[in-house]
Amino acid sequence: MNTVAVLMRKAPYGSVYTAEGFRTLMGIAVFEMDISVVFMDDGVYALLEDQDPSKLDMKPLGDGFPMLTEFDVSKFYVHDQSLADRGLTTDDLLMDVELVDGAQIAQILADAGKVLPF
Amino acid sequence: MKMGIMVLEGPYQHQAADSAYGFVQAALARGHEIVGIFLYTDGVNNINQFIKPPGERNISTRFDELAEQGIPVVACTACAKFRGLRPNLKTEHTRMSGLGSLSEYLQTADRFVTFGD
Repeated sequence: MNTVAVLMRKAPYGSVYTAEGFRTLMGIAVFEMDISVVFMDDGVYALLEDQDPSKLDMKPLGDGFPMLTEFDVSKFYVHDQSLADRGLTTDDLLMDVELVDGAQIAQILADAGKVLPF
Repeated sequence: MKMGIMVLEGPYQHQAADSAYGFVQAALARGHEIVGIFLYTDGVNNINQFIKPPGERNISTRFDELAEQGIPVVACTACAKFRGLRPNLKTEHTRMSGLGSLSEYLQTADRFVTFGD
C-alpha cells in the first residue's frame, strides 16, 4: 500500500494552504493509501478548539479533521515543540493526537513513500 | 525512476513553477520518467495560454511543451473554478482534472516532489 504523509505547517487562516491540505486529504483518502497527517509549526493552530473565523469570511477548518477518521485516515501527529512554543497543550486541541518530537517526525517522513507539504 | 510532481504556486510570483520545470528537465535528461505534473491551488495559473511576458521566459509555454511531449500536465478543476480559469483559457496540451489525478501520480510514482512556497 502507498504510504503518504501530509504536512500541515501553516496557520489555518491567512493563506489557503491548510484548507487545501485538508481538501487533498479528502481527495486522496478514498483511494487506498496509508495516510499520516503531521501538524507542525503554525500548523498546530489548525487543531485548536472553538475556531471562529467568521469575521474573516471563512469557514472553520478544524472540525473537518476528526471527520477524516471516517475515511480511514487515523494517524494524526502533532509536533510537541511547536505546540509548547505556542503555549498550547493537547487539552487545547479538538481531537486526540499523538505527540511526537522532531526525530519521530523525521522517521515518519522517512517511512512515508511520499510527502505532501502544505 | 518514476516521478510525480505537484506545483502549488502560480507563475512569476514565486520560484516554485520555475524550479518544477527545471527539475523535470533535469530528471528527463537523466532518463527518469515523469508520471504527471499536478498543478494545484495557484499553480493552475501556469496553464493560462494568454501569459505573454515581454522579454522573459514563458512559463505556461514551458509547461505546455512538456504536455506536448506526452507528460500529463493537469490543473485542478476546482482550483481553476476558484480562479476564473475557464477551460478555453488553457494552453493546448494541458488538461484539467481532479484530485484523482494527484492520487494516481502518488500511486504510480516511485518518488513524489512538491514545489511550493
